[in-house]
Amino acid sequence: MIWRILIFLWIATTMVVALLGAPLVPVLQETTRVLYFHIPSAWVTVLALGWSMINSVLYLIRRDMRNDDHAAAAAELGLVFCIVATVTGSIWAKSMWGSWWNWDPRETSIFFVLLIYGAYLALRGSIEGEEKRARLSAVYSIVAFVAVPPLIFVVPRIYSTLHPDPIINGSGKIDMDPMIRWCFFSMLLGFTFLFTWLQSLRVRVSRLERRLAT
Amino acid sequence: MPLDASSSTATVWAILRKECRSEWRTRYGLNAAVLFAVTALTAVTFAAGRMPDQPGMLAALLWITLLFAALSSMSHAFVREVESRTLLLLRLVASPTEIALGKLLFNLVFLCVVEVITVPLFLVLTGAPPVRWAPFLLILGLGTLSLAASSTLVGAVIAQTRSRGALFAGVSLPLLLPVLASGVAGTRAQWDGMPIDADARLLAAYAVALFGVSLLLYDHLWED
Amino acid sequence: MTETAAVRVGGSKLTHRYGRRATGVHDLDFEFDAPGAVAVTGPNGSGKTTLLRILAGLLRPSAGETNVSVAGRDHAPKQRRAVLGLVTPELEFYEEFTATENLVFAAEARGLASPARAAATALERVGLASRSAERVAGFSSGMKQRLRLAFALLHEPPILLLDEPGSHLDEAGREAVRDVVARFAARGLVLLATNEPEEVQIAARRLELNGHGLGDPS
Repeated sequence: MIWRILIFLWIATTMVVALLGAPLVPVLQETTRVLYFHIPSAWVTVLALGWSMINSVLYLIRRDMRNDDHAAAAAELGLVFCIVATVTGSIWAKSMWGSWWNWDPRETSIFFVLLIYGAYLALRGSIEGEEKRARLSAVYSIVAFVAVPPLIFVVPRIYSTLHPDPIINGSGKIDMDPMIRWCFFSMLLGFTFLFTWLQSLRVRVSRLERRLAT
Repeated sequence: MPLDASSSTATVWAILRKECRSEWRTRYGLNAAVLFAVTALTAVTFAAGRMPDQPGMLAALLWITLLFAALSSMSHAFVREVESRTLLLLRLVASPTEIALGKLLFNLVFLCVVEVITVPLFLVLTGAPPVRWAPFLLILGLGTLSLAASSTLVGAVIAQTRSRGALFAGVSLPLLLPVLASGVAGTRAQWDGMPIDADARLLAAYAVALFGVSLLLYDHLWED
Repeated sequence: MTETAAVRVGGSKLTHRYGRRATGVHDLDFEFDAPGAVAVTGPNGSGKTTLLRILAGLLRPSAGETNVSVAGRDHAPKQRRAVLGLVTPELEFYEEFTATENLVFAAEARGLASPARAAATALERVGLASRSAERVAGFSSGMKQRLRLAFALLHEPPILLLDEPGSHLDEAGREAVRDVVARFAARGLVLLATNEPEEVQIAARRLELNGHGLGDPS
């Protein structure tokens, strides 16, 4: 209960401050605002994917259904955040470059991740028997992990980029106004909390469902 | 994991021969695959027309045709075993890894046969410019390796689900997109007169990674 | 036939559930040594087939473990195929191949020294020598059952797991099976899942699975 309120307050406050108080990035102008929800969504997408895959490996080693709960929950949430990231990115692309979709490397990467999530969940939906479902989807998840580095890092390099990398390079040098930087990282954190909370809820539901089926 | 390499080799070889003999006797799979490949090829080349001066387009169409030919035919290696209920027999005489390796080699041979028919036909129907055979075949070969490795693993997983045919393409696609990307880039490069090293290296690394990871996972596929 | 020095099959706290439904394989503890036969009995759906599949290393149990040791050497579940032969109604052969081809393939895959000879011997023991060159597609269910037995005996294992071995067979066939089993049990270990009184009689020992009936398990 308290978490729900805290997370809400955190994100709401940051959002208000960011939208009203923070300056605009010169290149982006009004579309600066996309920084505050598009990138955090993309970040959570990747976080969820990683968490799902780690739990898949753990499941195969330990055969503990809790790992499967986490893997599946993370995949579901990841899919949602991925859709959000893709759609917000597309809207931003339209306003920035005039077209909804460009097969720009970053766009391409996020789309590929969407496909992986979709395939994983479709696979889960078609297997009967919880042990079998857990095992086979874990196998697929691990193989998909092999595809991720090429899809995210390599394939995009083959094509040129329109993405504003120099300004918003997530892991490298951050060349931003301090106010923007604060709001941005704060949102990043807020979204991470959001994901963690939703994940814990979803896992609890899974566990309850399983106990009910007994 | 197999303990004795030479006996494993013999087992894999026996399974490969069994697959080939079985395929030769029934020929359902091969006939259907070749028919589909030629159909897809015809549709694509007919719609696109002759393109002697568009290597990018040519490369893309070639790989799409191959991809669909593979997706339509590769799932049957395992689905057949499940449907004829002979998987139990296999599991009693060989380890999961040996079974998978045998099937993988068979899928590789199968794909090569399909390509031998499809690729020349493609080059002729599209009026493609002359091919630099060494780089062309290298890219094609490496891509085929990944196609086979991916299809074998996904096929083994899908065979145990309820909606097999429909799922196979969707589940395979994320794994095959890197192959598509590098394959198209490399094939295009050899027509443009550019070096293919980067693409070839990527394809090789990817095939090795896919193959290696799937080898570790086959043991977990059949436990009931 | 392999030496029967210390051939042992055992299980401890062995349990298996299908989804949430329990089977007769529930907290089982047992240990059987060669030579001889053990009858595994219980109502339909009580888990006889399940137990044999777990012992054969094909099915991972929900809880507990099994152990199989031959000549003092322990065999992990995934490595047991070499030391046991399994006959179960779910075992199917390649219909496009002949009986001989099926068995030769199995022998080659198992790495036997002379596959052709092993196949021929096995087929003779079950009385299929005359039909060996026919495709399995044309086999009656009785002939397929004999072929299953031949398949299980092909590599001359020290342990035999038989699931309803007399099914699909006429009286003559069932008698032949009982004969093969009795001769095998003289030196090896046989676990026989059955409810046929005549088959149960061959066995000196019994393992009773009082299961929750699941109906026909196939």
